[in-house]
Amino acid sequence: MPPKSTSSSAPSNSVQSLLKSYTDTTSPRLKLIDTLLLFLMLSGIIQFVYCILVTNFPFNAFLAGFGSCVGQFVLTASLRSQVNPANRAEFKEVSPERAFAEFALGSIVLHFFVYNFLG
Amino acid sequence: MNLVLRLVAALLAVATAHAASLSVQNPLLTVTGADASQLRSESPETVKLGPSDVLKLTFQVAEAEGGKGVQPHQTFLRFSDEATGEEGVQPVRVTPGGKAKFELNMARPPASLPPTTTNPLKVSLILGSFVHAPAQYELFDLYVPASHPPPTHPDEVAFAPRPEITHTFRPEQRIPAKAVSAFFGAFVFWPWFVLLGFWYEIGPRVPHLLSPHIVPFVVSLAAFEGLLFWYWVDLRLGQVLLYGGILAIPSTLAGKQALAKTSEWRLGRK
Repeated sequence: MPPKSTSSSAPSNSVQSLLKSYTDTTSPRLKLIDTLLLFLMLSGIIQFVYCILVTNFPFNAFLAGFGSCVGQFVLTASLRSQVNPANRAEFKEVSPERAFAEFALGSIVLHFFVYNFLG
Repeated sequence: MNLVLRLVAALLAVATAHAASLSVQNPLLTVTGADASQLRSESPETVKLGPSDVLKLTFQVAEAEGGKGVQPHQTFLRFSDEATGEEGVQPVRVTPGGKAKFELNMARPPASLPPTTTNPLKVSLILGSFVHAPAQYELFDLYVPASHPPPTHPDEVAFAPRPEITHTFRPEQRIPAKAVSAFFGAFVFWPWFVLLGFWYEIGPRVPHLLSPHIVPFVVSLAAFEGLLFWYWVDLRLGQVLLYGGILAIPSTLAGKQALAKTSEWRLGRK
């Protein structure tokens, strides 16, 4: 690790090293999940900004869209934490397959509610 | 029975014959002012009372024929304000000889005096008797100082017509300008490019996606999503629950098989 010579370059250095260690050490499957999480986060933020800046007029549609983003984010995050090999000790009884089955079931239920709100 | 009826009829005939009318004799009205000045009158049209005057009214009730004093069973003085409809009734004590005395002290007005304005109170004497015909005499108009306005009963509002109920609705919500909606509609798609770009870069390998163990599970998941989309477009809740319940059985079996196979591959690779 390079010594922190100047205070201005230190944050960018640390961010770079964080990104580097992330790209080096994370398995492609977890990266796949991470990109999905990023996608969901961006979609949710855009919808929320639209709701605040422009209108919430079809409020049920906003609820459906935003709720699906948030709910899917939560489900995906729990899937990621369960299939992460680093957390293997934490979830001894939960195999990755079972985690995926739960993810699929939870997603179907979530989508059912979302379609209910869509109107 | 017949005899009784006849007896009653006879008694009634006697009663009507005796139903002589009553008369009021020797009416005398005295108004005593605060300075002890007295105003006497026998049959005034109007009487004015100051805030501390005392009105004294004496009369005798007698039969119209013969002039014999009678004590009526009921004797009332009625004060009524024709403009406001307020009225008060004050019983008057009459001696067995028919003499009556009524005193009205404006310094301490009786509770039977109705609330007054500047309108006059019509004072009338009402006589009721079992054996005489009833009588009512309009005596005079009484001007008294205005009293406090009558207190309003708390429930009085409920007995008057209420103001008409008008509903106010929220204004119709505006649909934003088409350009803004279209811009955000397009804007909300760019995370897809981020997602697909990253996925392309990561390049996930799905070697078993088309294996016969996995395909049924993927197809059943897609069928579920298709069913939910169909629900949005057309179906009712009961239908979607029924179809979903039916679809759940093969999905569960396919998922069990697929995930068991996956687990096998994973453990075998280890």
